[in-house]
Amino acid sequence: MAEMVTDTGPAPRNGGWRPFGRRNGPREEPAVALPLQIGAWLAFVVLLLPVVIVVLAGLNSGDHLTWPPEGLSLRWIFAFFEASEFLDAYVFSLWLAVVVMVISTTLGTMAAIFLTRMTFPGRNLLRAYFLSPLILPGIVLGLALYVFYVSSGIGLSRTLPGLIIGHVLVTAPYVIGTVSAALFNFDIALEEAARSLGAGPFTAFRKVTLPIIGPGVAAGAIFAFIVSFGQFDVSLFLSTPNYTPLPIALYISLRYTFEPTAAAAGIFAIALVVISMLLTSRLINIRRFAGIKFS
Amino acid sequence: MALATAQAGHMPQLPDVRRILADSRLYWLVLPAFVFFLIFFVIPTVSLFLISFDKSVAGVVDIQWDFTLKNYIRFFNRSLYYEAAIRSIGLAAIVSVVTLALGYPLAYFVAKTRHPGRNTFYMILVLSAMQLDMVIRLFGLMVLMGDNGVINGILRDIGAIREPLPLMYNFFGAVVGLVQFTLPFMVLSLIGIIRSIHPSLEEAARSLGANRWTTFWRITFPLSMPGILAGTLLVFAISISSYVVPALMGGWKVIVMPLHIYQQIAEMGKWQFGATIAVVLFVTSMIAVYIYQRFAARTAGGRA
Repeated sequence: MAEMVTDTGPAPRNGGWRPFGRRNGPREEPAVALPLQIGAWLAFVVLLLPVVIVVLAGLNSGDHLTWPPEGLSLRWIFAFFEASEFLDAYVFSLWLAVVVMVISTTLGTMAAIFLTRMTFPGRNLLRAYFLSPLILPGIVLGLALYVFYVSSGIGLSRTLPGLIIGHVLVTAPYVIGTVSAALFNFDIALEEAARSLGAGPFTAFRKVTLPIIGPGVAAGAIFAFIVSFGQFDVSLFLSTPNYTPLPIALYISLRYTFEPTAAAAGIFAIALVVISMLLTSRLINIRRFAGIKFS
Repeated sequence: MALATAQAGHMPQLPDVRRILADSRLYWLVLPAFVFFLIFFVIPTVSLFLISFDKSVAGVVDIQWDFTLKNYIRFFNRSLYYEAAIRSIGLAAIVSVVTLALGYPLAYFVAKTRHPGRNTFYMILVLSAMQLDMVIRLFGLMVLMGDNGVINGILRDIGAIREPLPLMYNFFGAVVGLVQFTLPFMVLSLIGIIRSIHPSLEEAARSLGANRWTTFWRITFPLSMPGILAGTLLVFAISISSYVVPALMGGWKVIVMPLHIYQQIAEMGKWQFGATIAVVLFVTSMIAVYIYQRFAARTAGGRA
């Protein structure tokens, strides 16, 4: 639906980000007025309380998380590891996300190099073409692929490659966005210097360009990974009983009951997302991540 | 070092290298992605559009090349379907307004946090909340809001209620779920624009005698209009196409368009009609984008 406008410039080394210059003199009032502060904390509660509840439900010693809570235990964590459908789904989602990440990063980086190196009339159109899967609602995209697989008879319906293709379509745009932004800041003269010193095009790219745009590529890869890992809409029509990603498995179980092992799976998913975002914040300046724009 | 100096003599050759870089071989880089998107994005979406006009035959997926408007006439003549469309739009509109009211203070707070470490920390919180699988967050919300959930449990304990409040499996639950879902998107669209408003504008208003409240409503809020428009639009588009939130938090009582799509395909095998609803869903959100951008061009004064 949207294009994430990302700035993949290097994270500031000194941490001295001063948006509006330095203020002089003592501050007589807080930077944010009290009503807005209360609103902000309320929004934080809405944002984070469900996540906290999942963690508590996974560490709860009772059968269900009710009020008052019964105490902490690791029994559901163990139950999750012993034999649960959620462990299989978690491992499958992890595997799927890694495969999707590799394909999307390769396809997306190559396309981004082309988009930033070539100047030709239809360049913006081509860029829009690569971002367009995000405009389509995920469920519509999943349905379109499902119909295409079944009606064309190319043997992809209810298969693993079919599911991977759907995930690549919704993750590659993020890679193209972040890598393009990184390449935009890259000085092509550096690569040209390597070429004029006798390096082949591939060597010059690998030894000069890639190390410099590396953080942008890595950030795009992490985004592809995490978008695939949490993907529900596209998987809805494309997953099968043999290949059930975690979001679908959780949805199927949540329709009937609150399985505490599902909350245990949730804890590990939360950990994965937080680690990914911490990594991203080391790679690119996520404070510039603000601003989501329609393409 | 000596080598580098010697090689510097070759610098005039630079245009030559540039020509080599822009060699037609570069097209090989974009070809795989281009073909991939063509086969798996363009062709499927175009054929979905085509079969939405095809004669409706249960269980048949293939294009029969027998085009008619019957599916669309059926959609707009049956109250079951057009009411779902209206419900979808209404739900998405309410969610957009609530999310703006909740998201603006948070975005303002993060944008005005100058301490770099704390600022990064808040950004990580918002981004993590956004990237976390919605079904996991729904688990938390449902444990919180169920009849025997945490909120009703606390209220019963302090004696505020006897009967549990109906917090979910209804329209209210769907709104809360979607607000939780879309809040990070709203906050991220607002932070950048609020940060870009120069504080000297606010300071000027203050020094001319306006109080904080007036300054906020007359200066800061109007200047953040492009972010507000982009954010509400994004939230509207995400809400109208969400399947899992209305399905779980609405308890199949809030039947919106994505639920109809799934039912037509997975339960009834009516591929053509399912495709029709999908096209209506997509066109509705595109019309909303169009109307909004017309509106935005007038209110944002070129800042959009």
